Amino acid sequence: MSFIISTQSELLKTKRTASFWLSLAGAALMPTIIFLKLTIDPDNVVKSLAADPWKRVFSIAWQMLVALLLPMYIILISTLIPQIEFKNNTWKQVFASPQTVSNIFFSKFLTIHIMILFCFILFNLLMILSGVLVNLVNPEFTFLQRSIDWEMILRLNLKTYISILGISAIQYWLSLRFKNFVAPVGVGMVLFIGGVIALNFNWEHIYKYPYAFPTLSYGLVNKAGGPFLENHEWNSIGYFLFFMLLGFLDLKFRKEKG
Amino acid sequence: MDNQYVIKTTGLSYHFSKGVNTLSDINLQVERGSIYGFLGPNGAGKTTTLRLLLGLLQNQEGSIKIFEKDFLTNRIHILKNTGSLIEQPSLYSHLTAKENLEVYRKIYGVDKSRITKVLQLVDLGGTANKKTKQFSLGMKQRLSIAVALLHKPQLLILDEPTNGLDPNGIIETRELIKRLNKEEGVTIIVSSHILAEIERMASHVGIIHKGKLLFQGPLSELQNMKNKQSFIQIDTSDNDAALSLLSAEYGAESKNGYVVVPYKEKWVTAAINRKLVEQNIDVHLLQPQQNDLEQLFIGITSNNN
Repeated sequence: MSFIISTQSELLKTKRTASFWLSLAGAALMPTIIFLKLTIDPDNVVKSLAADPWKRVFSIAWQMLVALLLPMYIILISTLIPQIEFKNNTWKQVFASPQTVSNIFFSKFLTIHIMILFCFILFNLLMILSGVLVNLVNPEFTFLQRSIDWEMILRLNLKTYISILGISAIQYWLSLRFKNFVAPVGVGMVLFIGGVIALNFNWEHIYKYPYAFPTLSYGLVNKAGGPFLENHEWNSIGYFLFFMLLGFLDLKFRKEKG
Repeated sequence: MDNQYVIKTTGLSYHFSKGVNTLSDINLQVERGSIYGFLGPNGAGKTTTLRLLLGLLQNQEGSIKIFEKDFLTNRIHILKNTGSLIEQPSLYSHLTAKENLEVYRKIYGVDKSRITKVLQLVDLGGTANKKTKQFSLGMKQRLSIAVALLHKPQLLILDEPTNGLDPNGIIETRELIKRLNKEEGVTIIVSSHILAEIERMASHVGIIHKGKLLFQGPLSELQNMKNKQSFIQIDTSDNDAALSLLSAEYGAESKNGYVVVPYKEKWVTAAINRKLVEQNIDVHLLQPQQNDLEQLFIGITSNNN
């Protein structure tokens, strides 16, 4: 009960902050680009999309999402929400209120993930909306005739979400550690770019490197057979558990709070 | 007789870096129902002490008991009944005054009507829906006090609540503190570096200097001490003659080019004046002076040594 209350209080703190608009922008960017591309310049794509339009546009959008937008979004949102306390110098009031350290720590993390889930859901809804709108503008498209492969979309969402758990926990710990937001964002960006490079080199240990996990998940989403979770997805869960514990203990035993 | 103390610390010591004690052996005793003025110059350890009381700093040595309970094992219970304002206001600048209170209202589990009530109490009723970004420092300070009062705490910990306020704001805050204490029986510990400020509202005083508690007791006790250290400052046409005239009877000394005599009573001042005039020494200045805080500190420290 007290955990729910702490989370409600955390959610209220995000009102009118950049974190909401960032989630909105992160979710809306690809659907908007796809809508514009298909309405303005439909000639070459009408035919190539005809057979399975939903799968094609979802694939194109998702590829950009996992390769660039999502890791950046996770890095930023994980920093922005703890920054609310640093920026306003309010940590002291939070720690002087009757909340356990675990409530403070986990409710803030949950707030970040409510934002992330909001972004995921909004992204999917806007993708569908953009397909429908494209078709209404230009009846030559087949979005309204073909059905959506819900199972594929669900699988894509779920596996991508699991793939970001590790990054999210690492970034959350970093952003509680540093008062200056440049530090966690900078470290996150460097680690993310390192991942992009490592992916290009086909590094053999890439499945141990959390910042590359979203791309790996996307690459393997259509693999037939085998277990639902890939090795790197288990690793993501491992990183998540480890850094959540580390972050919590770090906050709990911090000598100076706020 | 422990139960009369809302706050009781025993042998509280704290150091930020090894070897340099920020606080040493602080034994605070804050009586129930009192306004405890916690007095000391900047950097004396006031904020450090208050942060320790709230658990914002990890206790290193000594014990803290609040409401007769050990802080470490009763943190939530103690914080539920304690309101605090530490250093600058802690407010979310992107939220309105009302929303700022709402953030804490649920945590404390108090009724929605309390928000309107505390806003009126600190005279911010008309600005409830304004973002705190647009608030003046005085308004922010008052809203922070409103946050501290939200859950009707038994104990208020206020760290320099009048810092940065204009004279009007200082008076209002002081009156509010007194009213809360009188009408709602809240025990209040309020820190300041201004003696006059504390004198006007506190019932008890603790003086901290360089991390040591030099004095603790009722305000009247401090006032006695202060009177003892008052003096009369004299400037005449012939200070040397005045000095030799007054040294035996009144214990006059020379200080900064003035003749200085310990202050006793009004009629003594008059007698000194008469004596000087009778000896044809022109009196240019004859002024009873009360010790300021700095001199009081020097007095208290030298007494302690």
